[in-house]
Amino acid sequence: MTTYTGGCQCGAVRFRVSGELKDSSICHCRMCQKAFGAYYAPLVSVRGADFAWTRGERKKFRSSNFVERGFCGDCGTPLSYEAPDGVAIAAGAFDDPSALPPVVQYGIEGKIGFVDHLHELPGHRTEEDAQAAPFVLELVSYQHPDHETQTWPPKEPR
Amino acid sequence: MTADADKNGGCQCGAVRYRAEGEVGYPHLCHCRMCQKAAGNYFMPLGGVKHSNFTLTRGAAKWFHSSDLVRRGFCGDCGTPLFYDIPGTDFINITLGSLDDPDVVKPVMQSNTGRKMSWFHALDGLPLEPEPETPDREDAIAASNHQHPDHDTKSWPLGEIS
Repeated sequence: MTTYTGGCQCGAVRFRVSGELKDSSICHCRMCQKAFGAYYAPLVSVRGADFAWTRGERKKFRSSNFVERGFCGDCGTPLSYEAPDGVAIAAGAFDDPSALPPVVQYGIEGKIGFVDHLHELPGHRTEEDAQAAPFVLELVSYQHPDHETQTWPPKEPR
Repeated sequence: MTADADKNGGCQCGAVRYRAEGEVGYPHLCHCRMCQKAAGNYFMPLGGVKHSNFTLTRGAAKWFHSSDLVRRGFCGDCGTPLFYDIPGTDFINITLGSLDDPDVVKPVMQSNTGRKMSWFHALDGLPLEPEPETPDREDAIAASNHQHPDHDTKSWPLGEIS
């Protein structure tokens, strides 16, 4: 059985899920867009899998009478979409989101016109940004690492 | 709606609202791992607004210093990621999905593609769900939607004069 871990950017909230995660999707509805501040919400259903919050408490916003959305109250990372028929986790909050490619699109009535063409935009790697923004070379991240940790926040400087 | 009205925005619940006048500079998708995790997403869409053109019209963001150089603003009540700020600069980056009409600001670039999802280019080929699987639930959600509308309102939480 595969085990996946993840959490918010600062690490105050962490989760672990064991099982087969097959229902990975992106939702274009306007509620998911605004909740994520993005063009869509990528969500991975954990229905039928063994899911647990392993550190901290998520904060919740009831976005409608059926649905609550969980996030980290310390750093804001969107974490969950919790409906009566199951919970889905924000794909980007997994420690390795590349392992969970989406298989279907929902809420396409809200799909933004240019979304299908985003991948055609020109792109740059981080190092190339250093000329315009030299700070990226000296940046010390306070983001929680993409794996589980014994303590939070770390006692030693990160 | 005027062009300026199109550039208002805020969080899902409406506790934090902003006005962004004038041009949104360098609208782009950042694929770096910090933006991914902060957004719970594959990338974060960001654009810059000069402080002189930017006004918080309701509430205040909560901030997380993701490094000494950068702080990220979000709504403490509902969690929507809103801002990426480099203190000391004359602009603030807004998350483009928090705009009331995100369609009006089209990104021009992708940045920090080293951690870009390898299948990002294939998302537009995913099958589309033709009809909601649970129309009754969709209707009930629409009838009890607690999301702030995509325009400014006189009061919050939403009252009779919304």
